Amino acid sequence: MQYMLLIYEPESAYKGEAGQASLIEIVGKHMALSAQMREAGVMVSGDGLQGADTATTVSTGPGGAQTLHDGPFAETREQLGGYYLIEADDLDAALGWARRIPVIEGGKVEVRPVMTY
Amino acid sequence: MEGRLIEAARGRIVAALAARFRDLDLAEEAFAEAAASAVEAWRRDFPDDPPAWLWRTAFRKAIDIQRRARTRARALHDAPPPQDTPEDAMLAADEPIPDERLRLIFVCCHPAIEPASRIALTLKVVMGLPTPRLARAFLVSEAAMLQRITRAKKKIAAAGVAFEVPGPEAWAERLEAVLATLEIAYTQAYEDAALAGDAAGFAPEVLRLSGLLAELTPEEPEVLALAALVRFAEARRPARLDDSGAMVPLSLQEAHLWRGDRIAEGAVLLDRAADLARPGPRQVLAAIHGSHLSRQDTGMVPWGDIVRLYDALLRMRPGPVTEINRAVAVAEAFGPEAGLRAFSAIAAARLEGWLPWQAARAWLLDQTGQRLAAASAYDAALALSPAPAERLYLERQRRRLDFSGP
Repeated sequence: MQYMLLIYEPESAYKGEAGQASLIEIVGKHMALSAQMREAGVMVSGDGLQGADTATTVSTGPGGAQTLHDGPFAETREQLGGYYLIEADDLDAALGWARRIPVIEGGKVEVRPVMTY
Repeated sequence: MEGRLIEAARGRIVAALAARFRDLDLAEEAFAEAAASAVEAWRRDFPDDPPAWLWRTAFRKAIDIQRRARTRARALHDAPPPQDTPEDAMLAADEPIPDERLRLIFVCCHPAIEPASRIALTLKVVMGLPTPRLARAFLVSEAAMLQRITRAKKKIAAAGVAFEVPGPEAWAERLEAVLATLEIAYTQAYEDAALAGDAAGFAPEVLRLSGLLAELTPEEPEVLALAALVRFAEARRPARLDDSGAMVPLSLQEAHLWRGDRIAEGAVLLDRAADLARPGPRQVLAAIHGSHLSRQDTGMVPWGDIVRLYDALLRMRPGPVTEINRAVAVAEAFGPEAGLRAFSAIAAARLEGWLPWQAARAWLLDQTGQRLAAASAYDAALALSPAPAERLYLERQRRRLDFSGP
């Protein structure tokens, strides 16, 4: 089965000088993790996303009317910051990988099975 | 007779089917079909080994159901045919019924399942409790219970929860989830069934389930302790209400009413847990219950021991529940003033609106002779909608204060 591991983190934690340092540290850990995922043959894809301040949201209202607005769809403390798409035998294996994803304090990883048709 | 044979075989067969086909609905449906055909077939020709007959039949039914579903799916999506042939699977049914109940318990109590649904699902799938019965036990409508179970099953299937006993790296965490599920269920069953006088409680099922888990993981001291704890608590059931239906506090219960068989079973389990020499909170809790029950033989409660056990429990499981119970034990061991001091040291937010806190406070104030303060604490406790049996007890305590002299 394929699982999407969605990474949500408080972006504010990466601001400032100390934040930059943590960012560099976390990115290093991501590199190491994706190398391990590739080696284990589970990695399908994965990337980091640019900050939520670069997001633009398309909303569809009644009658299909669409509007655009600046920013992510929901203003929450944690924002989607990256993802891994992996191939795993079961949820427990996927959760095992999710636990190894480096996140900053307050970070969360949501694990979602990908629909199969 | 047939009905009982079928029920007795149910848990094991459903678990074996679920583990084999990785599908809870399929397992339950196949077993139900097999049970239905058993009634007819056994009247004509009673099998030598009814459980084996049920297993083979349920296995074939499962394959039939799967085939029907695939035919439907092919008609819809033109999907490729299944890889494994039914003949291969059929051979497997000649094996003795494998015991997969532990796997199934781990699946049903997986941390990925909503906590409120875990025990309902476990009781349904592993113990075979019908949905209407579960709905009554959990005080929700049948529709709500059905929805809860359906949602949990759907999550297991869609998220791909593994039908495996967890490996060593996940064992501790997953076992903890199972134990917590059972412990919460038992607390709920214990309170509902006795205090609300609800005959539809599910304490007997939790008793059986905890016994089964102890049988399946005999090297886990906390599992053995939980099974002991449930037995100790159930031993007291006949003494928990008086003739008027009011709650009788543990230390005032008539010890001769306690069930000696349950106490003995619990003691054996707790001894086995102690032999494994890996202490844990449930072992301490069971030891506390066991100490209270020793009154049946000795005529007295070893309050000093109980306070020490609560001290140990407080280190393993800190929190207001433990502290309140400890304060009451301190009052019994060292006098009400000491108990009240221990009680006053409890620091947690919003305790005033919490019934166990108010009830313990009322009792402690009562013991120290502070009648006015005790009366208002009883009133505060009564305002927090206690269950009927506890209400009767609290009202009686409150009234006594009005009538006793200065």
